Amino acid sequence: MPHRADLWQKLSSALKPQVSADTFNRWFSAVELSEANEDAITFRVPNNIYQFWIESNHMTALQTAVLKALGAPRQIKFVVSNGDGDQAVEAAPAAETAASEIKTGRNAGGLNPRNTFDSFVIGPNNEIAHAASLAVAQTPARTYNPLFIYGGVGLGKTHLMQAIGHFVCAKKKASRVMYLSSEQFINEFIDAIQHNTLVKFRKRYRQADLLLIDDIQFLGGKERSQEEFFHTFNTLFDGHKQIVLSSDRPASEIANLEHRLVSRFEWGLTAELQPPDVETRMAILRKKAKSLQIKLADDVFEFLANRIRTNVRRLEGALMRVASFASLSGKELTQEAIEHLLKDILQEEARNSITIEQIQRRVAEHFDVRLADMTSKRRPANIAFPRQVAMYLARELTKASLNEIGDAFGGRDHGTVLHACKLVKKRMKEQDNIRQTISFIDSSLKR
Amino acid sequence: MKFSASKEKLLEGLQQVQNVVSTRTTLPILSNVLLQADGNEVHLTTTDLDVGVRGSFEASVEKAGATTLPARRLFNIIRELPSSEISVDIDGKNAASIRSGQSYFKILGLPEEEFPPLPKFENAKSVNIPQKALRDGLRKTAYAISTDETRYVLNGVLFSFKDNKLTLVATDGRRLAMLDIELEFPRSHEADIIVPTKAVTELQRLLTDDGNVKVSVGSGQVAFDLNKTLLVSKLIEGNYPNYKQVIPGDAKERVTLERETFLNSLRRVSLLTSDKSNSIKLNFSKNNIDITANTPEVGEAKESLPVQYKGREFSIAFNPEFLMAPLRALGEDEVFLDLIDEMSPGVLKIQTPFLYVLMPMRISS
Repeated sequence: MPHRADLWQKLSSALKPQVSADTFNRWFSAVELSEANEDAITFRVPNNIYQFWIESNHMTALQTAVLKALGAPRQIKFVVSNGDGDQAVEAAPAAETAASEIKTGRNAGGLNPRNTFDSFVIGPNNEIAHAASLAVAQTPARTYNPLFIYGGVGLGKTHLMQAIGHFVCAKKKASRVMYLSSEQFINEFIDAIQHNTLVKFRKRYRQADLLLIDDIQFLGGKERSQEEFFHTFNTLFDGHKQIVLSSDRPASEIANLEHRLVSRFEWGLTAELQPPDVETRMAILRKKAKSLQIKLADDVFEFLANRIRTNVRRLEGALMRVASFASLSGKELTQEAIEHLLKDILQEEARNSITIEQIQRRVAEHFDVRLADMTSKRRPANIAFPRQVAMYLARELTKASLNEIGDAFGGRDHGTVLHACKLVKKRMKEQDNIRQTISFIDSSLKR
Repeated sequence: MKFSASKEKLLEGLQQVQNVVSTRTTLPILSNVLLQADGNEVHLTTTDLDVGVRGSFEASVEKAGATTLPARRLFNIIRELPSSEISVDIDGKNAASIRSGQSYFKILGLPEEEFPPLPKFENAKSVNIPQKALRDGLRKTAYAISTDETRYVLNGVLFSFKDNKLTLVATDGRRLAMLDIELEFPRSHEADIIVPTKAVTELQRLLTDDGNVKVSVGSGQVAFDLNKTLLVSKLIEGNYPNYKQVIPGDAKERVTLERETFLNSLRRVSLLTSDKSNSIKLNFSKNNIDITANTPEVGEAKESLPVQYKGREFSIAFNPEFLMAPLRALGEDEVFLDLIDEMSPGVLKIQTPFLYVLMPMRISS
């Protein structure tokens, strides 16, 4: 292409004053321009010593030349030509086969075709995570790198990650997308150590354009895997490749995770997935029902959405069960019938219904005050605040009225309870650590 | 299996092999040392599956046999034992009773069958090299090995057997060290192999000044037989880069330097470099080099070195660590520094076939 030759002409004349004549003749005269687009310039070099030496010693000069010739910086890449000659590099074809294996094997295999952005129901609980994921999928490695998604079981972490994978695959067929769980990563790493194929292992992961690792919390306590992952992470990050991680808790709370990893995980954007509210649950049920072509009465949806609150997966399971019962038996779906059908699930959910006493005990334990203090008349700040937190939680988590709550806390007035709830809400808004503490107690109660 | 030996002999034997044992390993057997008592010797073997070492020590063997014991622990016990005679008795369950004077230890081992055998080198092509020459050669090149794992072909020393010569090469992309050893071997034995860093380090520890080392090259493996000890290692797969490309053409200027004086000056001046401005400048003028370092917000240093120099005046900057590394490793009194200009690589040479190519740093001014 004449265009390419022109560009190389421009580049070399910009490069010549920057390096000595000998250097130019020795290193750059044999270099060809292989590809140039808006992001990157790829140079073809006769063998790997050119790449090593130019990367180590002449990158600044080359970057400056690119800046001069094109007016904007580009990412610089090298390919080693596979042409004849005694120095043809064996490693290059090997790398290519490995890459194509990833392309064909991974893109289709690792990702569940159902988990796309279209099938994801957005609610106030997950809109940030969704928006961030979409941004990452549209422009990988530009906006948020790494993207760290966390949230409880069955809230859509995997769904979002796979949706990113699908989106990127669909947009650019050639991109190497790797989706796997951290457990798989660890197993493959151990396998690589045993069979001494670490180099192959590294190559495999470090050539990905998009690396999606699910359930990263399993890396906790696995020192060598963490170290390996650390290097993989750095290589990809430095190479401007997108990394997306998911976990069931924030990075800082993963036990036995090295600080350097924690800090890297928190580097980009951290997005939390919270349990869906009742409207979102309704929307999820309707969308799911539509995709499965199930028709159910509105009150059935409402019943399910109201009674199953913790987990989207369980919600979908219940829907499936109700729908299949309806189509198999042909009976009418009364409230009793559904309740009977979902006995175990509802019981499980009901077990999660929390008593005021449990809340008091848990809060007292957490703040290290006596249980008796919850009902006593004493009110120094170190007791009063935990008591108010407990009242707030009782209001949020139980169906008890203000009066009932007041009674349970040593015969207090309903106004006291109302005041406590307002105060706690206000302080949660103002102070992050209080919000965290309370959401921690909250989630430990729901367990 | 039962044997007794003197503390020194046992310790010496363990020292030869114990470095290979990795502390963090997924396979427990790899942290053990294999002991095989036979005749009047006990053989010791350790491996991490990449590198393996086999040595031996003299002992009076009462009952032949074999077992494996945790290497680090055994070594620590033997080192601390007060008496000079040590007897080791291993029962049928691979538990070792170690007795010495008033001390008694019992440590639990694993059966020998679990220990991965070292690869065999039958019909491998082998070449004999004087140990002293190889040790010297590795010392003068190994410091330039790359530690960048992404360039794995550079994570070792190239052994190139060609034209009755062994060429050792190490490079990390910014510098390159190369040395030739004259040898005699048939044409059919010509080969290029890349020996990984760990094997090179171990080999340097094992090589002595006397005798030969027999190098046998198998497929993907190499063995170094040093009479009493044997080191085997996997080779790095892939092609070593064409290092000859790096060596610059004819030099314009050559200075002869007293190695130690030059090294000491560099070391002193380099005290005023920092991580951020890690360069040292050599300013050449008639019969003099000024070595300078200048770090903003820290200070500057300058030292003058009288030399024989009649070329043009110019300055060139280097990374001090990269310039000092070969000077430390070389033993010669005199070294030659060949230069072309401030942007071309400098070459350090000695009387014998050795060279060290070092890229200059950009002088920002």
